[in-house]
Formats: sequence, C-alpha cells, structure tokens
Amino acid sequence: MDSDEEDYVFFGTPIEREEEITNRRKKAAAEASGNLRALPPWKQEVRDEEGRRRFHGAFTGGFSAGYFNTVGTKEGWAPQSFTSSRKNRAEVKQQSIFNFLDEDEKAELEGTLGTSSQFDTFGFTAAEHARKQADKEQKQRPSAIPGPVPDELVLPASESIGVKLLLKMGWRHGRAINDSRASSLYDARREARKALLAFASEDAKAPCPADEPVEEPESFTVQPSDDDTRSSQSLPAFVCNPKQDLHGLGYDPFKHAPEFREKKRLHLLNDKQRGDRKTMSIKDSLFGSKSGKAAPGFGIGALEEYDAEDEDIYAAGYDFEETCIEDDEEPSRLGIESKQPSRLSIESKQKVVARDQGVLPGFKVASVSDYQLERFDPPVIPKDFVPHHKFPGPLETLKKLDVPSPPEVPPPDDSNLKLLIEGVAKLVARCGKLFEDLSRKKNQSNPLFSFLSGGNGHDYYERRLWEEHQKFGDQAKLLLDGKLSPSTQKMTAESRGKLLGEKPLERSSRETTTSSVASGEFQLQFNLSDTFKKPDSFSKLPEVAKPFKDDPAKQERFEQFLKEKYEGGLRSTGYTAASNMSEAARAREKLDFEAAAEAIEKGKRGKESMVPTQPLDFLASGMQFTSGGLEQVENSHAEDLVTKKMYPRREEFQWRPSPILCKRFDLIDPFMGKPPPAPRARSKIDSLLFIPDSVKVAKPEEVAITNRDVPAAQTGAQMTIEDVAEQEIEIVAENVERPVDLYKAIFSDDSDDDVEDLNTKKAQDPEKKTEVATTALNRLIAGDFLESLGKELGFEVPPDTPYSTNKANDLRIETPNSDSGNAKLSTGTYLNPGNETAQDGDSQKSKSIPVRSGGYNSGKHTVGLLNVSGKVNEDKFAQEDKKVKSPSSRRRNWSSSSSSEDERSRKHSKRHRYRSSDSYSDPSSDDREHYCSRSKGKRERSSREKSSRSRKHSKDHKHRSRDSPSRSHRGSEREHSEARKEKRKRRD
Amino acid sequence: MSSSELPRKEANVLKGHEGAVLAARFNSDGNYCLSCGKDRTIRLWNPHRGIHIKTYKSHGREVRDVHVTPDNSKLCSCGGDRQIFYWDVSTGRVIRKFRGHDGEVNAVKFNEYASVVVSAGYDRSLRAWDCRSHSTEPIQIIDSFLDTVMSVCLTKTEIIGGSVDGTVRTFDIRIGREISDDLGQPVNCISMSNDGNCILASCLDSSIRLLDRSTGELLQEYKGHACKSYKMDCCLTNSDAHVIGGSEDGSIFFWDLVDASVVSKFRAHSSVVTSVSYHPKDNCMITSSVDGSVRVWKT
Repeated sequence: MDSDEEDYVFFGTPIEREEEITNRRKKAAAEASGNLRALPPWKQEVRDEEGRRRFHGAFTGGFSAGYFNTVGTKEGWAPQSFTSSRKNRAEVKQQSIFNFLDEDEKAELEGTLGTSSQFDTFGFTAAEHARKQADKEQKQRPSAIPGPVPDELVLPASESIGVKLLLKMGWRHGRAINDSRASSLYDARREARKALLAFASEDAKAPCPADEPVEEPESFTVQPSDDDTRSSQSLPAFVCNPKQDLHGLGYDPFKHAPEFREKKRLHLLNDKQRGDRKTMSIKDSLFGSKSGKAAPGFGIGALEEYDAEDEDIYAAGYDFEETCIEDDEEPSRLGIESKQPSRLSIESKQKVVARDQGVLPGFKVASVSDYQLERFDPPVIPKDFVPHHKFPGPLETLKKLDVPSPPEVPPPDDSNLKLLIEGVAKLVARCGKLFEDLSRKKNQSNPLFSFLSGGNGHDYYERRLWEEHQKFGDQAKLLLDGKLSPSTQKMTAESRGKLLGEKPLERSSRETTTSSVASGEFQLQFNLSDTFKKPDSFSKLPEVAKPFKDDPAKQERFEQFLKEKYEGGLRSTGYTAASNMSEAARAREKLDFEAAAEAIEKGKRGKESMVPTQPLDFLASGMQFTSGGLEQVENSHAEDLVTKKMYPRREEFQWRPSPILCKRFDLIDPFMGKPPPAPRARSKIDSLLFIPDSVKVAKPEEVAITNRDVPAAQTGAQMTIEDVAEQEIEIVAENVERPVDLYKAIFSDDSDDDVEDLNTKKAQDPEKKTEVATTALNRLIAGDFLESLGKELGFEVPPDTPYSTNKANDLRIETPNSDSGNAKLSTGTYLNPGNETAQDGDSQKSKSIPVRSGGYNSGKHTVGLLNVSGKVNEDKFAQEDKKVKSPSSRRRNWSSSSSSEDERSRKHSKRHRYRSSDSYSDPSSDDREHYCSRSKGKRERSSREKSSRSRKHSKDHKHRSRDSPSRSHRGSEREHSEARKEKRKRRD
Repeated sequence: MSSSELPRKEANVLKGHEGAVLAARFNSDGNYCLSCGKDRTIRLWNPHRGIHIKTYKSHGREVRDVHVTPDNSKLCSCGGDRQIFYWDVSTGRVIRKFRGHDGEVNAVKFNEYASVVVSAGYDRSLRAWDCRSHSTEPIQIIDSFLDTVMSVCLTKTEIIGGSVDGTVRTFDIRIGREISDDLGQPVNCISMSNDGNCILASCLDSSIRLLDRSTGELLQEYKGHACKSYKMDCCLTNSDAHVIGGSEDGSIFFWDLVDASVVSKFRAHSSVVTSVSYHPKDNCMITSSVDGSVRVWKT
C-alpha cells in the first residue's frame, strides 16, 4: 500500500479515517498512561503496544481479554497460602481512607483541608501540648519566681463565642466536651446539695453565701500546682495582647501617654465585669481560693468536695440570689484586687492607686473648681399648711345617724318646692354630704335651691334629710348586717370584691324576686361582666346633673338607669319595682333617660375632678328597691318631645378596617399587631343584628315581672330564651380589643403580612370564640342594651294578645312625622301577594325563610323605587321585577341560592326569626287584619278628616286604579318596603 | 354670600342624554362636569361653554353615579349592572371593572389619593376597591348596614355612608370605630359640608337634616321640598351658607343654613331633580333631571 501511494501525486490532505487510525493511536497512548482505568471493566480492551486488538479467531473466543486471555496481571493468578485464623487472629486493621485510595488519589488528597492539632485551641491535645511546652520552657529558664509561671501574668485571649457557650453549658477548660456529667454520683451529690441549699435559703441572709460555692466550685479544688483537671491551668492561651480595639495593626494610641492606656484598660475591665458575671467569677477564681472560703461548708455535705461539675448552671431558681451576690461580692473583690499587687506587676499597683485616687497618675484633684453645682431651695411650705387632708364630704353616711333629729317642720306650701326638697334630701342621704355641697355650689344662683343654703324651706329640708338618713341607714344596715357581718369572720370572695370595689353578683337578691326565670347562667354571665367593671364608674354618679329634679322618683330611676348604663349591668330591681308603669311609658321614659344621659355625658367630659365617693355607698343603694313612680301621668305629655329626642341617635361600634385599606388611605392601621378578629365580616353583622335578640336575654326576667299585666307573654319569653340559647352557640361576636396604642403603631413596621394573616388566622379555637362571643355579648348588652330595650319594651307584645289596637295607638304616638311620607304608601301592604306568602308557613322554620326573602326583596324594591327616575323607562325593569316576584319563583330562587347567599341567608334568618317571633307569630289569617288596622291607624293620622275605613279603602283603590298597571305594581312594592320600614321602626 | 348671589339664572342646558339623567357632578376644579343616566352613558361636558366633550359607553344598565379623580385622569362609575367601572378619562376605555356587589350600586367615590374606590350598594354594603393593585376583589366590605346604602362620602380618614335603614354611619379608619347616627328616616343622600364638620342628609320624609359630625347632634332640618321616593341629591354651597336641594316637582330649593328658611325656590326642570352639584369656587351650579337635561345655573 505504501508503495502504491508513492506512485501517485496527492493533492491536499487525505481524509483520515478517524476510527481506525487516530483512535487506535490515541488508545494506545491512553493505555500507556493508564487512562483506560477510567472505563468500566466491561469496556476495557486489551491491546498490544501498537494499540491493536488481538484476535484469537473464532474458536478461541474472538478478541482477547485480560492478560493474554488469562487474568488481569502479568503475574497471573497465584493462590495465596492459607493461614489459619485460629492461631493468627485477624489483626484489627486500622482502616483509613488511604487504604482505599490509589497513589494518585492520595497525592491529590494531600493538599486538601484537614483537622490539625496545631490549631486545636481548646482540644485536650493542644492544651496538653502547650502545658508541656510551658513546663519545658520553665525548666530551661531559671525564673525569679519559684514554681510554675503564674498564669495571672498571662491574660487569656478573649474567649470566642463557642467557648463562652460551652462554659455556659458547664464545660471547663481542659476538659473533654462529652465529659460524664451524668454519673450517678454526681447526680446524687447535686441533689443532696440542692436539698441543703433549700434548707439554707430559709433564712434571709443565707442565700448570698450559699450561692458562692455553687458559682465557683473550682476555687476549692484549684491548687496552684495541681493535676490536669485544674481548670485555668489547662488552657494557657499565650496571646498577650489580644486585639480589642479598632485601631490599625501596630498603632498605639497611647504611645505617648501610657497613663491613658491603663485608664482605658481599667475602664474596659470594669465594664466587662459588670456586664459578664461569668467572666468575673472565673477571674476571681484566678486569685486563689480566698473568696470561695467566705462560707466554708455551707450548702455542701461534709463528705463532699467541690469540683467543676458541681456547678449547677441549670438551677434557675436561684437567680435572685445571684443578683444579690453581685452586690455583696463587690467589696470582697475589691479587697482581693487590692491585695493583688503583691503578686501582680507594678502596673496593676498603679491601677489600684489610680482607683483609690480617682484621677490619672500625674494629675491631682483641683482644690478649687470652677464648676459649681447649682442648688435650688426647696419650695417654701406655706405657714398655714396643715399636713392633713380633709375630705369635703363625710365618708360614712351612716355615722350621721346619731345626729339629733331636727324638729318636725310642715312642708312648704309650694308643692314643687316640696318635691324638690324631698328629692334632694333623698339623694343627699344616699350619696352623702358631698352631693349636697355639690348641688349647692351648682345652684348658687338658682333661687329654687335656696333651701340648701338656709333659705326658704331650709328647715324642712333638714328634717327630710334626717328622715332620709334614718330610712337609708336602716336599709343600709340591713344590707350590711346581712352581707357584711358574717364575712368579717373570714374573707369571702364577696367581701374581697367589696374591698376592691367590685359589684357583687346580685344573684341572691334577684333570684328571690324572679323565681320564674330559670336563666341563672345568663345572669351570671352578665354579672361577671359587671364584676370586672372598675369602681370608678361609681364615682361618676354623684356629679350627675339632675335633669328630673322636679320628679324625685323619676330622678331616682334615672340614676338607677345611669348606674346600669355605666356599669353595663342588667337592669336590676329599680325598674322592676316601677311596674305600674305601662310598657310604652316605660320605654319612653327610658328613651328620655337615654337622651338625658347623653347630655350629661357630654357636659361631663369637661369636668372630671370629683372625689370618688366610697363604693359601698352605691353598693347599698344599688341593691335597693326603689318605690314605683307615681308621676307617670306627666310622661304622656312629654311624648312628643321624646319622639323628637329619639332621633338622631348615635351609637358606636367597633369596626376593623382592613390593613390594606389603611395603607391606601395612608393611615396607620389602628389594629396593627393585634390578632385578626374572629371572622370579622360575619361577626360584625351578627352582633349588630343580634342586638335586639340578645337584649332578650335580659328580657325573660323583665317579662316575668311585668307579666303581671300580661300573663300570656310567658310563652314568648320562653321562646326568646331558646333563641338566645341558640345564639350563645352560634354567635361569633366581634372581639373587644382596643386599637393598638400609639407607640406600637409607630414603632412596629407595617407590612402586607397582615393581609395574609387575616386569611390564615381565621381558623381559631372554637372555645375561644365562644368566650369572646359571650364577653362581646355582655359588652353589647352593657352598652346598647338599655336603649334598645327601652324601645323593645314599648312594642313587645305577646303573640296572643290582640295587637291591632295597641299597635295603632302606639304607632300613632311614635311616628308622628313619618306618616306624612309613608301612610299613603303603606296602606295597601296587606294586599301585596309577596307579603302574604311570607306569612304562609306554619312552623317557625319554614316561616323564617319566606319572611327573609320577602325582606330581601323588599329591600330591592326599595332601591328600585328610589331609583325610579323615569316612569316610562322604568317599565322594562318593573316587568323584570314582576317576573322575579311571583311568590313561587321567589321561593325557588331562594332555595336554589348559591352558597354565598346561604351564609347571608343565615344572617337573615337570625334577624328575621326575631322579627317573626314578635310580629309574625300570629296565625297568618290575622295578618290581613293587622295590616288593615295598622294602616288604619296610620291612615287616621295622615288623613285625619277621613276616618272611615271603607272610605279609605275606596280611596286606596282609586289611588291604585289611577296608576298605570306597572306603576301600581311598583306602588305595592313600595308599600311593601314601606311596611318593612315601618316594621323596623317599630322594632327600633 | 348673600341670597342675591345664588345661581338662579340658567346659563346653559346640556342636552344629549336620552332619558333620565341620574347624576351630574362637577370635577374637582369645577371646569368640567360629568353626567350619567338611564341611557347607560357617562358624558363629559364643559358646562361653562355648554359643550359636550366625550361620551363613555360601556355600562350595560343605567349609570347611577360617577366620580372623577382630583387629577381628572380617572373616572369611576357605577350603576344597575352591579359593577364599578374604572375608566381612563382621556381614552375613554375601561381600565378595570370591579365586580362583587350583589345588587345595583348606588354611589361611588374616590378617596383623596384616588387609590381606593368606595361604592355603596343595594346589597347593604359599602365596598372598597383597590385601584393600585390588579385585584378585582374588594379590599374591605362594610356590611353593617341594615338596608340599601344610598350614598357614600369620603374624608381623608373616614368613610361615611347613608342608608335606607335611616342611619348615617361613619367608619373611622384611624381609630377603627363605626359611629352610627340613626335619623329614623331612610337616608337618600349624604353630603359633606365644605368645612367637613357637618353632614347633610336628605331623608325620604321630605326633609334634609344637618348633622354635627362630632356629636351626632341634629343641627337643623330643611323642609318644603318633596322627596319621598327618588334618589335625589342635596348639597351645600361652596361657602356653606346655603343648602340646596331638588324637589320631585322639578324645583330647586335654597335654604339658609342657619335658620332653615327657604331663601329661594324656582322651577328648574319639568320633572324630578335628581342631582345638584355646586361649583367648588364660583357661584355656579348644575342640576340634572329626569327630563333628560342637565342645566347650568349662574348668578
């Protein structure tokens, strides 16, 4: 082939067959360098020097493998001689990674990182090594100081955090880390010592010395030339000047002023000692065993000895003792240090001197200093100052009982004045002299009150006051006798509460009066909320202005009302006693009170500087039954006024803005950092909707008491109890937290996490929820209860009683100005088919749904009507509405409502259950009549000249027929909605 | 401002809406005004020259309220299609639609920074929508109302809503409180006084009530007009000296703020006056009516 090629002239480079030539050569070269080893065995090929594979031929197995088709090596396979393991046990082979590595790998591995004992700063070997080195050096070098080099001269390097941690965990220098702490001996000793310590700490002075051995047990065992266990000796760290400053290397700021260096060092040292107790104790241990001997044998058994292990770092119970040690030790440590110079260098001598003098060496304290402390004379006490505080009013009204009675005086002719005097006297008797002073001051210019300051009717007032005192004293005595005298023997919860100014649970007194009501737990709950009220709410009462001065009984009730309002309690005895009032009158009065209270509240904000009277006073009066008012007749005159006062009415609730809303409004989230509320959207609504319901919680007793006139209400009351019980479970009330304080708001960062939190934290402990719910319920009731109850009461009519006549009357009274707008619209309500279906259902359950749907739709219609702007254009939508409105379809709508609406419907059902319980619980057949009569009542009001019902009806029809069909339809919708409004109004 | 300076002279009639105009609003500087109505459009006008500038069409039902940002760049509108539309003023495109109300939306307002739209719906809720993010979920739902919310006002820190349940509820974001002032009558429209201390609430018993915001006190009642079934606006003049309200018979009433006497009254429209808006600086007023016109009134 070669010869052939020479005959031709080749142009260019011939294409080489890669596989054949280059590959082969490469492989040969590779084999030579042993690269083939990289291949797995089954891919390795045996080749000759030229890189050719040998082919044996078909019979001998193709290409050769191994070493000439035999074994892997030239030597071939040689059997090893057998060695019996019986005699020669297999030696324990120290295996290391090097056993398994090849030469080249070993070579590679040399350069890698590895542990080196050279840098083992706290390992045993290093310590040992260093120590031996030191020993050797010491032997070589004759020293002026006999014995080993005092280690004190060589300060240890500042410890690394690892060392510190280990020290904290009980490790000592020179010890293996996994020392056997768990030995039973150790434990036993420790236990024994603990017991002893516990004994010892009985007396006051013991703890301080007792702890010392615990703290520094080493100091006992440490002897200057001890064995290896000696702690501070095992680890001499020969870093003489640990770099602790921030200066550059080699820079010495104190080069020309060495005095300052010392000063600075001292300073640092002090800081350190103050800051780190541990290092101090270690340092102390350096100075021999003196300090440890402060209390030899204390807290340790006679047969025991200390060592490092005895330190019980986990004994957290003695923390307080450690703190007092710190103080106690200070002088002793100083003492030690002052002794140091004998052993320490001159430098430290200087240090001590410096400390004694308090100035730098080379400086002297100036004898005259420019700086003068400015001193101020103490304030001059006026000469007439008597260091004894006189209370403006007597604290104890009962003490006045022994005042001789003023002579009997005929009352003044003016009956108004008489009433006034009596009222004031009563109040003064109850609230103390303070009240008299106050009202005198207030009414200085009022001639009507001249009797307070010795004017007309003064003697009568005196007499009345005395009488009231007598009466009141008797009552109070009774109460005190009943309540306090047994408790003087022993502190009961009651008496304790009394001392703290808490309102006692009124269970005992109430249960006697309201035996028919079995809602003890409710009472308890509400009273619990009362119990946590602060006593300062009492203090507000005496300063209350008296809006009903001319009517003492009413004023009294008003006070009662206020008390309950501010204390947030249930209505108690006072109201029930005045049961001869009609419900409506009572409701009205309550509204009156509400308005007055608000006015007072407003006025009061300015002046809050009253001396609180003693709570006992009010406790006594709070329990009291007040006599029923006789002046109810007057109330009816004020009715119109009342309804005017009724609105606008302000309420406040908690509301939680979402964090992102706050962000968008560029405001600080008031609830930032607070846990998210229990599902807010629902709870808010629920609690709001429940106000009327939850009010009923309170009502049972109310009803029970007032039922003297209306016995049939009992069933209604029971029902409400059930309702309430249900709500107790269902309700998830708003949480009662307050907004975060300003500090938090400013200094905690606001982040978007809150948004997520809202979602994530929604799942809460159900128990917590109910807890919150009950408290919130209580609170709600406390706040809103009275006002809503007032309205409730006026209109709450038992289901069986004929409803129409009352209602009409009430309505007439209640809404004098609403009629003009609404009467025309609401007349046809009873004809509304939607409304009738709403009341068709028999059972409570089935009823609630249609009612709810009706309510919902009527709401819709309200809007629809409000937005009616084009009568012509409206038709289209009106027809759509009509479609929806046919009763059957409406129901279907609701039954197939989506889940989102489901929840809402639940809300509604709650709300409407209540509604249905009072207004719709009548059989449906009655409804028509109700509506008739109701509309009649209104009708009469609106169009006074038209009194006959038939005429009105005809007018109604006329009115309707005048309209186009769609319009009339809308009209009925409107009426429907108006009726709903009416309903709401009534309910409110 | 004496009563002689009240805008009683008709300066312009803005015609273009087919059907009732439900709301007419000045923009923040009073140079332009927006109206919206039953014809499902929003229209931008120059009321001083009487020019129709632009029409915004996208709503599927009537448009009940519209509001424009202080920088005039964005609009929000709402209406019968249960959505709040967030518009770009110049292009006339809808940037975003906020869905979530379960019923018609009666009123809508931007907050001060135009970052949040608050809408009042027939589903008895106030909803706040975020304009900054792309989320179309409401960032806050206030559903403590017992009935349809008719109107909403925003201050820097509060959201105020008036509802058919007769309450005006103030939601103070700073302290997390809801203050509910029950007026006892369905509230049709609320509007803030320019000093921010009072709320004017138009009630369905044909009276407009002035409430002190801090105490909830009823300061004054303004009567004489008819407002029983329509959603009608009321407002104060820019000097807070007079109260303006429309009537269902098409007339406009001016009351003296303090003594509640009817200072002036004239018939402005042939049908119900749905909306009144007062110029922020000048003595100029626009009214809209069911008769399909928007009228500009000047002294």
